[in-house]
Amino acid sequence: MSLLLCRQEHVTHPYYAEELGLRLSSTQELAYVIYHYPLLVLDGFVRESLLDFMREELGQGFLALKIDQWMKSGENPDEILPMILQESDYYTAQEVAHYRQQMTDLRGKHPAEYRRMKADELFSMRQYGRAVKIYQELLELPADEVVNESFRSRVGNNIGSCYARMFRYDKAFEAYKRAYSADGNPEILRKIYYLTRLDPDLRLGERFKALATPELKNGWEREMESARKRAENSVQVRQLDTLFAQEQAQREKGEMKLIKRWKQEYRTMA
Amino acid sequence: MGAIEKQATANCDCKSERKDKGCMDGLIVGIDLCDEYTQVSCADEEKIWSLPSVICKNRTADSWYVGEDAYTHTLNGDGVILDKLVSRALKGESSTVGDVRYTGKEILGHFLEEILKMIRAETKKETVDRIVVAVRRYDSKMLEILESCADRLGIPAERIDMISHAESFLYYMVSQKREIWMGTTGMFDLSDEGFRYYEMKVQKTTNQTIVMADYEELEESFRLDILATASGKRLADKIVCSCGERMMQKKAYSAIFLAGKGFLKRDWAPEFMNMVCMKRRVYMETALFARGASYCAKDMNQEKTLFPYTMICEGRLKTTISMNVIRKGQETSIVLASAGDRWHSRIASVDVIPDHQNTVDLVVTPQDVTNRKTVSIFLEGFPKREERTTKVRVQISFPDEQTMEVILKDQGLGELFPSSGVQIRQEVMI
Repeated sequence: MSLLLCRQEHVTHPYYAEELGLRLSSTQELAYVIYHYPLLVLDGFVRESLLDFMREELGQGFLALKIDQWMKSGENPDEILPMILQESDYYTAQEVAHYRQQMTDLRGKHPAEYRRMKADELFSMRQYGRAVKIYQELLELPADEVVNESFRSRVGNNIGSCYARMFRYDKAFEAYKRAYSADGNPEILRKIYYLTRLDPDLRLGERFKALATPELKNGWEREMESARKRAENSVQVRQLDTLFAQEQAQREKGEMKLIKRWKQEYRTMA
Repeated sequence: MGAIEKQATANCDCKSERKDKGCMDGLIVGIDLCDEYTQVSCADEEKIWSLPSVICKNRTADSWYVGEDAYTHTLNGDGVILDKLVSRALKGESSTVGDVRYTGKEILGHFLEEILKMIRAETKKETVDRIVVAVRRYDSKMLEILESCADRLGIPAERIDMISHAESFLYYMVSQKREIWMGTTGMFDLSDEGFRYYEMKVQKTTNQTIVMADYEELEESFRLDILATASGKRLADKIVCSCGERMMQKKAYSAIFLAGKGFLKRDWAPEFMNMVCMKRRVYMETALFARGASYCAKDMNQEKTLFPYTMICEGRLKTTISMNVIRKGQETSIVLASAGDRWHSRIASVDVIPDHQNTVDLVVTPQDVTNRKTVSIFLEGFPKREERTTKVRVQISFPDEQTMEVILKDQGLGELFPSSGVQIRQEVMI
């Protein structure tokens, strides 16, 4: 139990971390993303613009200089991220040591597995466009002990999920169908069914019609109904109801603000 | 508790007490401002300007007269006299002169303006580098009034400050030879405003010298006009003598001071003088508060203080407020406000991140460290997030000498965990 003291930082120009689709405004935020999203920051995250941010906004000129010299010296670049964590005062020495070990483990992964994990991390950050790109590259890889049918099915499923979240239901439909063909996972069949319910233009072919038995469909419909009810009572929908109940001028202002935010979010995810 | 360290000044927002650019060779003024009288002392000037705190406004012209001139013009019938200027301003009372209605603050502003005119004319100095006003009772409202008066007079607000009589007494004392104040120093202040006993003590620790002043309002005070009769004199002598015995008891003093108009002549108090002068050094100073204020003003005008002491008195904090935190992996204590800081201008803020903790704990340390207490404020209403992803801005200020206001704001952690806007405000008695 303790209180960590934050250093005084007056950041006027936050750093946009493209890999994460986030603006960072403090040492703690920088440390947090390095620690929690190692796969997104392991390669190419530390660059001149980040060093400028550390120097000019975070007031960490000395650390930026040290990193700059380290990068030029040709020493192991994987040491740079733990260096930033150490100086942040946000993580303990044990946590930084654990991070180092995690980096070593990641570097030891099969390249396809490493890239899949990276794409999964992008997915968790709602960076669907970037994730899809990596997943598709993975499907092009020659088969080996890691890149097998199960691997391809998982990747295909993830491509489908990315497209579905970007509201590209047609592409998601195709991706799920390919994934299902690889290993016949019934979970994917369920998703295929839901897509046809969300987009009436999509139709289950004869093959899938036969697979989606009435019992299965009934169960999925119940789930869908329950999800719809949950959505109706969600905070976001309630906020929208409140907004629509306001007077016209106020409402329009709120709508514009909301649409702007949605657009920004969509641009980031796509 | 770990070593106490001063927090970087960047997160402490205090009115500048030190010299600012533009302070060169202008006036450095100490004013003792009371309802009954006003005394003015300028740095490096022996002269004391003393006048009754009254002002007269000409009925037809925009002319103002202060002190004895105000009485003269009033007697001539060409003006209206106004008194109790401090109380009037504090109560927000207005007065109508001619066809114009003036607020108490405006009247006090005119009074100060006339005083400055008088000082400027005599000293041949135009610019004002620093004004320190000593008042009988420290009240933050009075400081706001004075700042607004300064604004009206074209003097930047940061060049005017207010201190209590107790602080003025401290400044006066520490400006004297050390032998006078290194022990306990007592002072009796007798005027039409009241009768007070002040005491100053010095406490030396390994790294600082603490000078403390406190006072007691003596309920036996009397109007000075009773000294006009022989029986009044005898009664007054008995009163002050009994008060003196009660306050001084058998304490050892390095010096005793007598201040105020009441002690200007001492022939009415033979018994008291015999008692007080017994094997003691006794000094008489009629303008002690004005001089103390001018020493304070002069000191504030220096880049580095001439008095590196922790001063504790009315208007300054008597306790130190700190927090135990982790800095660079080490447990340490940071000081948000120190005993001796002026409470009115003291605002400190610091950002902390709770780690497996749902409270913010502030340590309140009085002079007697055995009475140290920890005040825990629960982060009630703050959103539940994963550990170390809630930054809390802790801000403290002091509405008065005994009260600390603590504000805790949820800052979230940037775009990763946006702030909920939740804020907790709590008042703590210190």
